[in-house]
Amino acid sequence: MNNQKLDSANASPTKEFFVNMITKDISLEDSILDLIDNSIDAAKHSSGSQPMTLGSQIDLSQYTISIKLSSNSFIIVDNCGGMTLDNAIKHAFSFGRKPGIEPEQYGIGVYGIGMKRAAFKLGRDITVRSTYVEGNRIRQSFKVPIDVEEWLKSKIQSWDFDIVEAEDMEENGVEIQVRNLTSAAKNALANPAFVQNLRRMLARDYSLYLNKGLNLIVNGERISGLHLEFAGSEEFVPMRISYNGLQNGDEIFVEMIGGMAAPPPDSTEPDEKQNSDKRFGWYIACNGRIVLAADKTEVSGWGTTNWPQWHRQYAGFMGIVLFSAYNTAALPLTTTKRSVDLTSDVYKTAQVKMRDLTKEWINYTNERKQALDAAKEKEARAKAIPIQQVENRESIALPKLPAVKPVERPANVQYSVPVKRMKRLAGELGNINLPYREVGLRSFEYTYEDLVGEE
Amino acid sequence: MPSFDVINYGLRPSKSIQRQLVFNGIHSLQALMKLDMPLYVGLGSVSFTDFSLAHRLLQIRDMVSIESKKIGYRRAKFNSPYATIKVLYGVTEKVLPELLDCSEAINRPWILWLDYDCEFCEDVRDDIRLIIERVPENSIVLFTFNGNEMRYGRKPAQRPERLQTLFEDVVPDSLSANACKKGKIEVNLANFAINFMKATAANMSRPGGFVPAFNILYSDSASMITVGGVLPNNSLVDTVNDFLQSCAWECCPSEPIIAPNLTVKEALALQSLLPNGAGISKNDVRNLGFDLEEEHVRVYEKYYREYPTYAQVLI
Ligand SMILES: Nc1ncnc2c1ncn2[C@@H]1O[C@H](COP(=O)(O)OP(=O)(O)O)[C@@H](O)[C@H]1O
Ligand SMILES: [Mg+2]
Repeated sequence: MNNQKLDSANASPTKEFFVNMITKDISLEDSILDLIDNSIDAAKHSSGSQPMTLGSQIDLSQYTISIKLSSNSFIIVDNCGGMTLDNAIKHAFSFGRKPGIEPEQYGIGVYGIGMKRAAFKLGRDITVRSTYVEGNRIRQSFKVPIDVEEWLKSKIQSWDFDIVEAEDMEENGVEIQVRNLTSAAKNALANPAFVQNLRRMLARDYSLYLNKGLNLIVNGERISGLHLEFAGSEEFVPMRISYNGLQNGDEIFVEMIGGMAAPPPDSTEPDEKQNSDKRFGWYIACNGRIVLAADKTEVSGWGTTNWPQWHRQYAGFMGIVLFSAYNTAALPLTTTKRSVDLTSDVYKTAQVKMRDLTKEWINYTNERKQALDAAKEKEARAKAIPIQQVENRESIALPKLPAVKPVERPANVQYSVPVKRMKRLAGELGNINLPYREVGLRSFEYTYEDLVGEE
Repeated sequence: MPSFDVINYGLRPSKSIQRQLVFNGIHSLQALMKLDMPLYVGLGSVSFTDFSLAHRLLQIRDMVSIESKKIGYRRAKFNSPYATIKVLYGVTEKVLPELLDCSEAINRPWILWLDYDCEFCEDVRDDIRLIIERVPENSIVLFTFNGNEMRYGRKPAQRPERLQTLFEDVVPDSLSANACKKGKIEVNLANFAINFMKATAANMSRPGGFVPAFNILYSDSASMITVGGVLPNNSLVDTVNDFLQSCAWECCPSEPIIAPNLTVKEALALQSLLPNGAGISKNDVRNLGFDLEEEHVRVYEKYYREYPTYAQVLI
C-alpha cells in the first residue's frame, strides 16, 4: 500500500453539532457553574492570580456574582473586571481554546467551551455584555448579541458573531442574559426544588471561594459557603499532608485531609432518613473548585481493587484532596467539571494515599461494632475543627478500642407501626425527629422500667 | 377562652369564609377554563358541606367522598345529600390510586379538595405527590391541613429538620428556628406546600405544570392552611396565569382570616351598614348598640358577603 492521496474526507464540525450535541453531555446546573467559573477566573485575575490552596490569604470580598433565574430568562452579572474587546475578538467566543492562548493562571477554565455551551444549553437569545478598563484607563463596553436560530440558518460559512457597541455597566464586569429559554431550562428555572438544589450545590462546590469572601447571589439571596469540618479530639486526629506532584512536566501542589466528620451510624440497617450519609465520602477540588463531592463511587476508588465498596457502616468519613496548578490544563479536570480525569497520573498517585486512609477508617468502623459503647463515648468527645485548622500529620489517628468483652445474647426486635403514630410518639419523647430505632429503644426502656423495674 | 368564642364553635365562621372564597374562586376558574363535566373529589365526612356547594354553586354532578372509618362510612352513606355522590371506603392513600386507575374518573378534569384535619405529614405529602403527578389535565386541586406549630416539633429548634423531612428539597438549608415559631411558621408551611407542588410537577415535566392559585390561612380555634392550584394543559397555561394575576383574584389574601363569632342579630345589624365605601368604624358598631374589637370589625367588613348566615338552622 502506498499512501497516495485520493481525496480528503470533510471533518469540519457543523454549527448544529455545537448547539445541539455538546449541550447533551452536561447538566443545566453544571452549565450554570461554568459561567460562574468564568466570573471567578476573572476575579482571580483581577486580584493577582494567586493559587487557591487551603492556606491562601486571597480576599475576594469585593467581588460579586449575581444570578437571576425565572421562567423567562437567565441573567448572570459580575463585577470581576470584564473581558476585553481584544479577548472577545480573538478568544472568548471561539469554540475550544486556540493554540497559544494560555489559560488563566491558577484558573478553572481550560477547554474554551464553557460559556458557549452554557448559553446554548440555556436558550436561543443570548447577549454577552462587557465593561472593562484597559491600559489607557478609559472604560469601554461592547456586547455580543447571539440569535441562535439566525446563526444556525445563516448560509455563510463563517462562525463569527457580531460585536456591537454597548452602554457602560455600573461596574466593570460581564453580564450574560439569556432569553427564549430552551424548554428544559424554562421548566427547571421555575422549579423551586431546582433553585434550592442549585443553591446547595453552589454553597458546596464554591465553598473555598465563598469562605474567602466571594459574594454569590441567587435571586437576591446570598449563598453562604458550606463549612467543611472534621471532628477531632486527642484520640481522633485527621490526617493532613501535602506534596508536589508532576503531570506532563507541570507541577501540581496536592493537599489531602481526611478523617472523622461525624460519628458513624449505630446501625447499618437502612433507616427512614434518606441521604443521612449525604455529606460523607471523598471531595476533590481543582484550583479551589470542588468537582467531586461526597463521592462514594469508583471515581474516588470505592469498589476498585483493594478498596471495598461504600457501605452505610463507613458513614462519618470525609476526605478532601485539593489539586492546585499554575497551568490549569495539568489538573485532572473533565470538561463538565463534575468528575475527575481518571487517567491523570497525579490523580492516580493521590488515589493510593486516599485508599490507605480510607481503609484505616473502614477498620475502625469494623472494630467499633464489637465495642460500640466505648466507641460512642469517645466519638461524643470529639469537637468540630474547620478544615483550615487541621494540623499537618502523616497519618490519621483513631482510638484503640478495649478488648471485646463477652456480651449478653441480644434479642433483635423489628416491628411496623403507622408513621403518623411513630411521629406522635417521637414528639412525646421530646423530639419529633428521633430516628425510629431510637423511639423503639426508648419505648422499650420506658415500659421495662415501668413493668419490670430495677434489675 | 372567653365563653363568647365557644358558643358558636360549631359555626366556625373563618372556615366558612374560607370555603366560600375557595368556591367563588373555583367557580370563576371553571368558567374561564370551560371545564367539561368535572368530577368532585373530597372528604365529605357526615356533613358534606363542600359537596352541597359543589353541586349547587358549581353544578357538579358526579362526586366522590372518601371515608376511612367503618362507622363513619356507614354514616356518610346515610347522610349523603345527593344521589350522585359515591362514598368510597378506605384511607386516601389507598382509594386515590384506585380512583386514578378508573377510566370514568380520569377522562375528565377533577376538582379535588382534601380537607384534612391533621397536620402536613408523610401521608399528606404522598397524597399530594400522587395527585400532582397523576390527576387529569385541567384539574383544580386543594389541600387543607393544620398549621399549629406544636405539630411540627415541640421546640422551634426541632422544626426546621422536620419541615425538611416533610417538604424535601424545596426547604432552604438556611431555614431558622425563628422562622418556625407561631405566627411565622404558617406562612412558611403554605409556601413550602405550594413549592412542593410546583416542584413535583416540574420534576416530572408535567405539561402545563402546576399553577398556584390558593393560599389561605384561617383560624377559628386551630390555625389551618389551605393551598392549591390548577394543573392546566399547555394551551390554557397563559389564560390561567393572566386570570390569576388580575386583581379580582381573592384566594391569596395577605392576612390570615380570623373572623369573630357573631350572633345572628349582630351579624345582621352590621350587614345592614354594608356595602359602604368608607367602611364601618367601632363607633358605628357602638351606635348599633353593641361593641367589637377593631380587627373583628375589619374582617367582617371585608368578608361580610362570605360570612355564614345560616346560624338560625343550628339553633
Ligand atoms: N465573566 C467573565 N469575565 C471575564 N472574562 C470572561 C467571562 N466569561 C468569559 N470570559 C472570557 O471568555 C473566555 C471563554 O470562556 P469559556 O467559553 O468558558 O472557556 P474557558 O473558560 O475554558 O476559557 C474565558 O477564557 C474568558 O477570557
Ligand atoms: Mg470557562
